[in-house]
Amino acid sequence: MTAIEKDPVVEPAAVEAPRGRLAGLAPYATALRAAGGLLTVVGAYLPWATFVLNDGPYPEKATLEFFTAPLGVSGFRLHLLVFGIAAIVLAFVPAVPARGRILRALGWGVVAVSVVNGMYITTQGGGFGAITAADGAVAFGAIVALIGGAVLLVGAFAGGLEGHARWGRPLGRFVEWALLLVIYALLLLLVAAVLTSGGQGSVANPYSGAVFLSFLGALGGLLAALHSAGVVTWVTGMSERHRAYSAIVLLAVALLLPLTAAGTQYWMTVAANIGVYAATAIGLNIVVGLAGLLDLGYVAFLGIGAVVAANFSGATAARFDIVLPFPLVMVISAVVAGIFGAIVGSPTLRVRGDYLAIVTLAFGEIFVRSSQNNIGGLTGGSNAIPGIPPVTAFGQPFNESLTIGSVELPAGALYYFLIVVIVAAVMAVFGNLKNSRLGRAWIAIREDEDAARAMGIRTGPVKILAFMIGATLAGLAGAFFAHKTGTVSYESFRFLESVTLLAAVILGGMGTIPGAVLGASILFVLPEKLREFADYRLLIFGIALVLIMRFRPQGLVPDAHRRAELAPQSEPPPPDGSTGPAAAKVAAS
Amino acid sequence: MSGKHAAPEAPRAAIGQSILSAEGVTMQFGGLRALNDVSFGLSEGEIIGLIGPNGAGKTTFFNCLTGLYAPTSGSVALRGTPLPQDPAKVTDRGIARTFQNIRLFPSMTAEENVLVGRHVRMKQGPLSSLLHGPAFKRSEAEARSRTAELLEFVGLSRFSDELARNLPYGDQRRLEIARALATEPSVLLLDEPTAGMNAQETEATRQLIFKIRDLGTSVVVIEHDTKFIFTLCDRVLVLVQGELLVEGTPDEVRGDPRVVEAYLGAPPDEVEHQIHAAEETP
Ligand SMILES: Nc1ncnc2c1ncn2[C@@H]1O[C@H](COP(=O)(O)OP(=O)(O)OP(=O)(O)O)[C@@H](O)[C@H]1O
Ligand SMILES: [Mg+2]
Repeated sequence: MTAIEKDPVVEPAAVEAPRGRLAGLAPYATALRAAGGLLTVVGAYLPWATFVLNDGPYPEKATLEFFTAPLGVSGFRLHLLVFGIAAIVLAFVPAVPARGRILRALGWGVVAVSVVNGMYITTQGGGFGAITAADGAVAFGAIVALIGGAVLLVGAFAGGLEGHARWGRPLGRFVEWALLLVIYALLLLLVAAVLTSGGQGSVANPYSGAVFLSFLGALGGLLAALHSAGVVTWVTGMSERHRAYSAIVLLAVALLLPLTAAGTQYWMTVAANIGVYAATAIGLNIVVGLAGLLDLGYVAFLGIGAVVAANFSGATAARFDIVLPFPLVMVISAVVAGIFGAIVGSPTLRVRGDYLAIVTLAFGEIFVRSSQNNIGGLTGGSNAIPGIPPVTAFGQPFNESLTIGSVELPAGALYYFLIVVIVAAVMAVFGNLKNSRLGRAWIAIREDEDAARAMGIRTGPVKILAFMIGATLAGLAGAFFAHKTGTVSYESFRFLESVTLLAAVILGGMGTIPGAVLGASILFVLPEKLREFADYRLLIFGIALVLIMRFRPQGLVPDAHRRAELAPQSEPPPPDGSTGPAAAKVAAS
Repeated sequence: MSGKHAAPEAPRAAIGQSILSAEGVTMQFGGLRALNDVSFGLSEGEIIGLIGPNGAGKTTFFNCLTGLYAPTSGSVALRGTPLPQDPAKVTDRGIARTFQNIRLFPSMTAEENVLVGRHVRMKQGPLSSLLHGPAFKRSEAEARSRTAELLEFVGLSRFSDELARNLPYGDQRRLEIARALATEPSVLLLDEPTAGMNAQETEATRQLIFKIRDLGTSVVVIEHDTKFIFTLCDRVLVLVQGELLVEGTPDEVRGDPRVVEAYLGAPPDEVEHQIHAAEETP
């Protein structure tokens, strides 16, 4: 073991030279970077709002005068302060690998935070006066910070972007275990912080949406910076080396969430909802991400699972008078949904691509319409099926709080535990199948269906299996959903829901587990967090999706394969043999 | 690294019983008759070359043999049993192919591509795929070791974890061969395996095909490079406008004026000269 090996080895990364006009600024890169950082710090200490807004004072003492409380900055101003100082330090420390890339990430973070808060104060305060000068008061925080972020970005680009830093060799097993434990614990705190950031939107807390979005912006910048610095890749590599250990620790960590700041009934409910959609998204990921079959009616399987569970729950509106134990109900729901999956999947034998999407769309619509009209008396029609009793075990209803010794679990924590276990099971199913003969057959079909057939894959049954297994997982989640929400109505399973799930899969990264979970979390937390933007919610949502697809088409957590597929490629395409080099070859001699 | 002048002729294996046969295969696309009453037989241990000008119907013939197209009339049989009209089943029966315009699974690694080729020979049901029990681990290990052997065989071991799309062009063609071999075929159909390759790679491919033949797989090769075909094959078929024009040993075909005329559409003498010239250049 040589000395070089001990330190994280940084692979020599080619610097992407700045292009166009930025090239001229290259000599000033350091100055620009430092100036950007400095402006950000100044912005953080300037007042942000000229007056107290109508709905109540903007958070983090936005009207406080310049530099009044140097150590008292908090919230978004603290984020900016940290980013600014980090940028100044990085500007002058040459030995940091991927410096330009890290600075760029910080720059985007600063821009995001200042834009979110600035725009919010502007709209709520009735114009630009709120963030410039009004009534004899000045507040240029937002503008100065925004300029700081922009200068930082220019400086980052002008100095050239290096490749992502890479860290070298693995450490000893126990060291890595300990590190992973710490990292996963931090992850738990981070998840709790994201969930609770901004708090629960209410009259008393009018700016929760803005605080949350600002927090997300800062978090995005931070994660991008860590990614550039190679930390994310390093952690991923480490967790892949210790798969079983990581799985167990992550499961344990997830079960600890009720003990953090997020341990209230409200956040437990939100987390359980996320879990339902995460499980469903993973199921959809089999169909779309692995087998490459576009399914636009997928949420119907969640609905089928929920309806089946509701009918065996003993609710007054239930069709059957039998009350079955919950585990059995889950199995039945999953099986019934799976059967429908196979039925919907069978047309896939004949149709491909766009046509398949239409077939699945139609199926989703058939489900919604027939449940709306209460066909077969199974769905309660427009009255829905209300009053589904909660799951109980050992006499303990899952929707009530529970005290074990000195630990008090909030109401909803038991449901949260249950969904964590379900999601873990669904992940295991996905992971195992992906790395098997069947999973490879799905991916082969996605890549090239004719070539897959030429390799002996019976594409028909294999595709139906994808639909069936995906639907089964959704059905499982549906049974949980029915009991947890207590009401099953067709309204929960409309086309928009299918689209959102699909967006979750694509946004998170096709074919990956963390991608589907992250995508589902974002898409189902955002509406919860942005209640006050009610009217603009879908708009914001849409813009965010467009931006992400434009700048990160491979999704937030891309599959290693797709990442490579979408990476810019300079290789010329192979010559197409169909034109035939026959004559050329003979004549050339 | 064999000498250029005397490319070693691999000893021809004894040619055995007929293995693959086509009887009067005709393929009509609307008004176009791409294949007209084509018959042929392939024996065990034999390498057959299929040549012909662009659009002659060579690829169409492969598609008919592998069940991708259902011939308008005629039949195809493997060891006397008619082949089903389903590429997957045909592969299962023991015919594998490569494609003229490389059809790898681009965003799977080289290893995964070959593993997909193992699909028909792996015993691993959906339940086993789900539970990853001991039987699963055995079949997975077996498939991976076989895959490693095949990558070694075609000389691609070092690219095992590389995505297929990132491989150099010639290596993609070799990977396609490894993937086809993974299905343990008794007949291998190669559609222009050296298209786009340089002389050295072409020579390596020639040796590879000999090695494949020596391992007991009969081979049919489509190729425009006549030098390649004449030095590789035991028999050569010439297809022109969907008709089987000439069939014979390389020497017979090379000297046949009809071939020279129809295949190249030029006065025989000149073309003859060109063919010989092509053979002499490395
Ligand atoms: N699926 C199809 N539908 C209609 N016409 C087809 C189809 N496949 C092939 N053809 C036509 O059949 C003829 C033979 O094509 P084929 O691809 O078999 O030629 P080839 O001998 O392989 O030529 P090349 O040397 O260029 O590869 C061509 O005229 C082609 O356009
Ligand atoms: Mg062809």
